[in-house]
Amino acid sequence: MAEPSNAIRIPKPSRSSFNMDRLLEKNSLLLNQVKHFLELEKTFPPEKRTGTDPKSITTEGRAAEYIRKMTDILHPKTAKSGGR
Amino acid sequence: MPAGLDNLKHIVVLMMENRSFDHMLGALMKQDPRINGLRGTESNLDTSNEPARVQPQARFQGQLDPDPDHHFPAVHKQLYFGTTGPPAAPSMGGFVQSYHDQRQDVNHSRQIMFYFPPEKLPVLTTLARSYAVFNGWFSSIPGPTLCNRAFAHYGTSFGHVDMNLFYEKTPFLSIYDRMLKAGKTTKLYYYDRASSSLEVVNLLKNQPKIFATYPQFLEDCKRGELPDYSFVEPNYSDHLGEGGGEELASDQHPDHDVQAGEIFIASIYNAIRQNPDLWKSTALLIAYDEHGGIYDHVPPPACLADGFHATEQQTGVPGQPFAFDRLGVRVPAILVSPWVPKATVVPGTEDPANGRIFEHASIPATVTKQFLGTYDERSPREKAALTFLDLLSDTMRPEADCPVFNFA
Repeated sequence: MAEPSNAIRIPKPSRSSFNMDRLLEKNSLLLNQVKHFLELEKTFPPEKRTGTDPKSITTEGRAAEYIRKMTDILHPKTAKSGGR
Repeated sequence: MPAGLDNLKHIVVLMMENRSFDHMLGALMKQDPRINGLRGTESNLDTSNEPARVQPQARFQGQLDPDPDHHFPAVHKQLYFGTTGPPAAPSMGGFVQSYHDQRQDVNHSRQIMFYFPPEKLPVLTTLARSYAVFNGWFSSIPGPTLCNRAFAHYGTSFGHVDMNLFYEKTPFLSIYDRMLKAGKTTKLYYYDRASSSLEVVNLLKNQPKIFATYPQFLEDCKRGELPDYSFVEPNYSDHLGEGGGEELASDQHPDHDVQAGEIFIASIYNAIRQNPDLWKSTALLIAYDEHGGIYDHVPPPACLADGFHATEQQTGVPGQPFAFDRLGVRVPAILVSPWVPKATVVPGTEDPANGRIFEHASIPATVTKQFLGTYDERSPREKAALTFLDLLSDTMRPEADCPVFNFA
């Protein structure tokens, strides 16, 4: 079927763009998001903590793993529904 | 009341990351001289005293590494280089110098002046040309992400100019709390569990029920179950998703791929656009939180003081406390609705007679005005902020006049 005249095609990003190993220190936003979660975790009772060593969070991928654990604690609804 | 406003049931705000107006949309001035973009002659001096001109050479990724500094002291230099600082007018002359501070590489520092030609950003530039683009939408603070995003959520940053935001016992409610209190519906959609929200220590901790994910946003659009007010956050990291697939960061924060952000913006637009009932009853605002240290040529104007005060120790600039009485660098902002007349350009500071100045406090101000009416318990900045729903007209544009995005 032909595209309507008002349709605009959007190209995909390059596959090489993906980089979970990008250093966390290169992204001040993500670095601060992690810092906030770490600060918040300190207020949790021991049995509720993730057990993550802050020094191990050195890349975007590691940050995302940690953030996922903390989000599941703070917002268990999405964890139970498989992310929705 | 215009029919567009009469039909309005939903407001959606998508806030992207760290790109200036000129960097993303400045090239559009060649297509439409009403858009206050780049002439091509704008420049900053580099550290060897040579002019570094704006160039249409911005790349999707790999150019702005390291992340350009956009904390208060760096933005101060970007704005006031070569001047005595406020109350002098901003020179907009220190962007290259500021970026040079990070890598000490003259050639690399000149890239902070680069901008995208429109064909590289088909989503953002199409939306800007098809709906309403704001010439005068500024970040709320000459500083980083979180204090700027705070203005979108609370209408103030409660005196913060930095990234450390713990709002305990604050005098003003978030827009979400106000909505819930009034029996209205609202959601803050984050991308997924591994990206989460930036509103960690305040809203996510205290109000988890207002949160949902991007897949839920798509589902809510499909089913016509979007709340009255939605705020959408992009994906802030490259990570493995729920099914183990690669999830590319879509926030456009340097050095994340700008094209991935284009796709994300298009997906939000399409989700609303493809449900006819939702399309005619929704206004979508796409805005960027701050400029991310990237060049813009428009000096940010003064604004009403917010009633808070940051000391020079807090700003990090000797001799420069801050009264929250001037705005940060200009950012892209676009209002999308079939009720917005095609190719609307909202004038800004370039038009002293008719120009209108917006900032992120305009977001809760607009949502409050539309859904809550008179509401006094707000920051001085939010009370003074302009609202934007008057851009909705009496005429709904036909289907064929509104673009759709197809993914290659």
